[in-house]
Amino acid sequence: MRILFEFEKHARLRFISHLDLQRFMQMALRRTNLPVAYSQGFNPHPQMNFASALAMGWTSDCEILDVKMAEDITEDFAHQQMAAALPPDLPLRRVRCVDDSHPKTMAILMMADYEITLAGDGAEQVVNAIPGFLAETEVLAMRKTKSGEKQTDIRPMSVMLKSIQTDVGFRIDARLMLKETATLKPDLLLKVFAERAGLADLPAAVNIHRTKLLGLDQSCQPKDLFIL
Amino acid sequence: MNLSDRIDSVLMQVQKPVRYMGGEFGSVMKDPADISVRYAFLFPDVYEVGMSHLGMKILYHAMNLREDTWCERVFTPWVDMEQQMREHQLPLFSLESRTPISEFDLLGITLQYEMSYTNILTSLDLAGIPLRQKDRTDGPFVICGGPCAYNAEPIADFVDLIVLGDGEQITLDLLDVYKDWRSSGAAREEFLKMAVKLQGVYAPSLYDVTYHTDGTIESVLPKRNSGAPERVYKALVNDLNGADFPDQLIVPYGEVVHNRIMLEIFRGCTRGCRFCQAGMIYRPVRERSVERLMGLAETLVHNTGYDEISLMSLSSGDYSCLPELAGDMITKFIDKRVKVSLPSMRIDSVIKDTLAQTQKVRKTALTLAPEAGSQRLRDVINKGVTEEDLIRSVHDAFEQGWSSVKLYFMIGLPTETDEDVMGIVDLASKVQRQYFSIPKSQRAPGLRITVSASVFVPKPFTPFQWSPQLDRETIVHRQGMLKHELSRIKGVDFKYHAPDLSFTEAVFATGDRRLGDVLELAWSLGCRFEGWSEQFRYDLWMQAFRELDVDPCFYACRTRDTDETLPWDHLDAGIDKEFLLREWDRAQQALITPDCRKGCANCGMKRYEGACL
Repeated sequence: MRILFEFEKHARLRFISHLDLQRFMQMALRRTNLPVAYSQGFNPHPQMNFASALAMGWTSDCEILDVKMAEDITEDFAHQQMAAALPPDLPLRRVRCVDDSHPKTMAILMMADYEITLAGDGAEQVVNAIPGFLAETEVLAMRKTKSGEKQTDIRPMSVMLKSIQTDVGFRIDARLMLKETATLKPDLLLKVFAERAGLADLPAAVNIHRTKLLGLDQSCQPKDLFIL
Repeated sequence: MNLSDRIDSVLMQVQKPVRYMGGEFGSVMKDPADISVRYAFLFPDVYEVGMSHLGMKILYHAMNLREDTWCERVFTPWVDMEQQMREHQLPLFSLESRTPISEFDLLGITLQYEMSYTNILTSLDLAGIPLRQKDRTDGPFVICGGPCAYNAEPIADFVDLIVLGDGEQITLDLLDVYKDWRSSGAAREEFLKMAVKLQGVYAPSLYDVTYHTDGTIESVLPKRNSGAPERVYKALVNDLNGADFPDQLIVPYGEVVHNRIMLEIFRGCTRGCRFCQAGMIYRPVRERSVERLMGLAETLVHNTGYDEISLMSLSSGDYSCLPELAGDMITKFIDKRVKVSLPSMRIDSVIKDTLAQTQKVRKTALTLAPEAGSQRLRDVINKGVTEEDLIRSVHDAFEQGWSSVKLYFMIGLPTETDEDVMGIVDLASKVQRQYFSIPKSQRAPGLRITVSASVFVPKPFTPFQWSPQLDRETIVHRQGMLKHELSRIKGVDFKYHAPDLSFTEAVFATGDRRLGDVLELAWSLGCRFEGWSEQFRYDLWMQAFRELDVDPCFYACRTRDTDETLPWDHLDAGIDKEFLLREWDRAQQALITPDCRKGCANCGMKRYEGACL
């Protein structure tokens, strides 16, 4: 069986790289009494995957770690063991046992919701660029892919965008595509907004917080990846 | 913005924000409302270095076991962070709660190497604590410990207290004295007077130092009515099994220098190498039992998730039950995929069986420290190791599948000649021949012999404390000679450093209070992180010596007279000065003194009740 662990990454730990988080989770699993399945070979490691890498500097409510077990256990046991192995700034939210045949979470991940907060000089201009962006049918931007930089139309990858003013600045709620063949990262989107607003730099205070990872249900509606 | 937000806003601008982040698994959080004593523990170097230090882990754990105390960590900000903090007027803060250091009750600083002293000044300054002890009217008391505490005279003016010896118990006792002092409402200076009643606590400001006209010390005496002792004895923890050892460790997120479980198997060393300060000041040998170590290892593996254990000590091969311990460890942890490594292996220990077992789990470079190239010079330094021992060890290792050997040497040892140094070349080539004497089909490919030669630095409380450091020209000549000769041996890498840093280290290792001004001036000229060679600014140090008209050679280049009062003579590390003198004399005659497990050398430790059973 496999266990899906959903955990948060709080602001204090936002500078941890994905690689360091991977190492950390390997160690965290060793602190549990979970029957984790290890890879074969000279240097065995736990068989585990993340649904998605979280960029350094971002925070999240919904990271998913997918771990293979060597034997079946209950969700309660998994929850209790893992919760004790994580520090306060990486708290465990939900645990789900799935069958080995359950598709890999990274394979069925389609999109993600983000809360982007902006404050300081330029924040308002960035936010004001949203309606113009939404009115376009095509917006070309240089997107970094595995094979290098590529000119891509990012407009269709932006599924939903809305902005609100807050006490301290602005917040953009964004639903953006997040799958291997089409990913729009919020920092690229902000860069495009800033360019369209004629700004040289992004506002000084930008925070990117991931609130949901989503897949598609049978009727092609977005659905919480964790329960999909 | 509160302090935490202000810190966050600069972290994006620095190289390694993880250094200032905190929030690791195993770090201790408490509610300040429940806490009586707030203790900040400063390791005066960057996070990655400080987090590899076992002493800090021990004291952090011991203090945080107390409900009335919260010990938090702080490291010296790297130069980029220092600049950001100054620009944004951020005070030095603790990692756990991000509290300004100036708000703590006590600031403990560990002195691991002399060249971290400028980092102490940086840290005090960023904390907003006046550098000089005499200028402080409130804020935390500054308490130093660690090996350099045995001669912390160069930083005497900057600290309130210096703690000599084992920290486990004395640190807790000091917390109690602090609480007593605070509830008494007495003046600030009274705390120092109360603290020096504890064995192991030294308050430099309670002593007067006078000098002869030739610059040597006339006397170091307690001030009248200070209550300070004429002689400060070190604190000693006799029972290491009973002493606290952490059963939980902080698990860092990023890479640190030693990211593994460090198990101290014993403290002290019986070898008596004459250059080695650790071998003298950590006497006597005190072992942890196999049972206690196995228990600690099991708990720590479970509590931390580490997959590697290092057995730590000054000379792990000397642990009385090493084969049993190594065997038990390997058997116990092989299924849990935990690697066990022995870092400071001695070449003359009975290590063959252990070698065979460690390779089941892990095979890193075999590290050997002959220290000197010729038998004569090894006798001078009392490194009781022969060429045959060395050759046998590497032969065994090569036979068991090792192909990488590191050999550590020193240049500039007392009485050294060019011939002694050429002995290093001879040894390296003999090691190489051992490798090739094993049939190709039976040895691991890829021979790699790393020869490292550091420059000898005389240290207080060693028989070589009277010795000068070798002059720069001769050091450079001998390094060049080695470089040339070793380059002709296939498979040998030679590592060495410019002598500038070692010279500065020698000055501060054997220095006195008059160096405080030099230190402060060098720091204000911009000296930072001397231990990082790219940061070390020899020119600025020399400028500071010049401007203050202090001759560094007075400290580093002079043979001290054996009647001279040394800057640390009022401190007692357990060993007698008489013993050191005898050893200094025997060194001149190249006479060895046997390991004291084979017969007491009367070093003086027996004066301590319960020591050296």
